[in-house]
Amino acid sequence: MIAISGVTKTFQRRGGGTHLAIDSIDLQVAEGEFVSILGPSGCGKSTLLYIVGGFVPPSRGSITVSGRPVTGPGPDRGPVFQEFALFPWKTVLGNVAYGLREAGMRKREAERQAEALIARVGLKGYESFYPKELSGGMKQRVAIARTLAYNPAILLMDEPFGALDAHTRVRLQNELLELWERDRKTVLFVTHAVDEAVFLSDRVVVMSRQPGRIKAIVDIDLPRPRHRDELLLQSRYQHLVIELERMIEDPPEEIRP
Amino acid sequence: MTAAALATRTRATLLPGLPPLLACLALLLAWQLYARTLSMGGIPDALSTIRELPAILGDRESLADILDSIRRMAIGFAIALAFSVPLGLFMGRSRTVAAMVNPLLMITYPVPKAALMPIIMLWFGVGDASKLLVIVLGVSLPVIYHAYQGARAVEEKMLWSARAMGMSGPARLARIVLPASLPEILVGCRTGIVLALITMITSEMIARQTGAGNILFNALDMAQYETVYAMILVISALGIVLDMLFEYVRGLLTGWAEPRHDLLAPSL
Ligand SMILES: Nc1ncnc2c1ncn2[C@@H]1O[C@H](COP(=O)(O)OP(=O)(O)OP(=O)(O)O)[C@@H](O)[C@H]1O
Ligand SMILES: [Mg+2]
Repeated sequence: MIAISGVTKTFQRRGGGTHLAIDSIDLQVAEGEFVSILGPSGCGKSTLLYIVGGFVPPSRGSITVSGRPVTGPGPDRGPVFQEFALFPWKTVLGNVAYGLREAGMRKREAERQAEALIARVGLKGYESFYPKELSGGMKQRVAIARTLAYNPAILLMDEPFGALDAHTRVRLQNELLELWERDRKTVLFVTHAVDEAVFLSDRVVVMSRQPGRIKAIVDIDLPRPRHRDELLLQSRYQHLVIELERMIEDPPEEIRP
Repeated sequence: MTAAALATRTRATLLPGLPPLLACLALLLAWQLYARTLSMGGIPDALSTIRELPAILGDRESLADILDSIRRMAIGFAIALAFSVPLGLFMGRSRTVAAMVNPLLMITYPVPKAALMPIIMLWFGVGDASKLLVIVLGVSLPVIYHAYQGARAVEEKMLWSARAMGMSGPARLARIVLPASLPEILVGCRTGIVLALITMITSEMIARQTGAGNILFNALDMAQYETVYAMILVISALGIVLDMLFEYVRGLLTGWAEPRHDLLAPSL
């Protein structure tokens, strides 16, 4: 489904000089697969996701989605950003219906579908609220619903739960897993939380820093459907968490001159 | 509703109107006392100035003059908005456009627009065109500047979200950048209203034909100080009414925005 081959990104720095953010990334993601990218801050996780989304061009290498090369963003790849990036002048309903209206759907029908999605992410009754009237967790639910609304085949999620408190984070993880188990979209999920990656994913891609490279790809062979309370007791789960934690705890390499 | 809730509600609804009213009364009182005790020839007292108001507002010719001023101001303001907002938004989203327009703004910003009036009159005569042009110049600069700043600050991820939905560049400018910068654009508009008022009066001072400024400065020439002061009151009242109207419209347009703190727009 997604084929990333030899993707490298070098940023031009102010006052000359370049900065190698990610280096020779090769990765294949199959249709319906849930893959997490795990790595320390600054290792280039967001950069990689933006490149797959077509928002940022790679310096070298190429991306194909369903065999077609990526040249820009498109409704087949739906992003969910850490910053929510909701349209503040639109209500919850307006935000979720936005992509459908953009695709040319009649207002009545778009709103009907948006209402159903809003209920699915647990925000029934908040349709007429503006983003400034919502909590962080509610905003992130709206952001997810807004992207799910136009039914992209691929979800690109950049630390979507990173800014949330532990309790809300766990709730949204459960809800995301439920949604995913229903329609099995292909998901590329960026996180720096090990337990989150293990709980959600089929595979976890561990990245190293300076420059961002793939350090290891770990299969998460835990049965589905997964339930958090059962999972926490399983030694296989604990083992995976510990293994991955060791991997990303390695001392960061210095920037090479 | 409980008594406490009622009390807070009345306090909230009464207070915003009260302090400005008290301030106005205090000012009028101070004026009255000053004119009475230290009376110098040129300063009429507050009461006789207020008594002069019905004469001006009841006079068909003066009223027509004032309405003429308001008409010019509205047209000038509308023309300025029509090109300043798109220009500012373009500048905010394109470095090339900004690099081209910015130097022009830097040159024209510090020039008092009314000082250009004599030159403009050489080209366009003493009629409506010159006065309109001065108003347009006065209004457009702050609006361009704030639209530019607003468009520059639009969150990139918001634009990316729209791109992922398949929205084209021009559509993003109109439907994402414009609404996202609207709160900032309105800050520019508020400054623009004040400048429109100032340039309106000064243009009429220099090119006397019609208008509120015309009444004011003719009266000054003829030493009719009651009329002069009454006109100043009328113009101030016009400013206050316009500002209140603007705040109302702002509330309608950008009620969704996070509250912000501006030097020019303190919220009571
Ligand atoms: N626009 C840019 N210009 C220059 N350098 C950049 C730019 N964006 C990212 N970088 C650099 O690329 C590297 C990777 O950044 P990126 O945002 O992808 O990291 P990340 O893994 O997402 O980190 P975090 O977990 O903190 O979000 C960083 O070292 C950063 O300095
Ligand atoms: Mg990031």
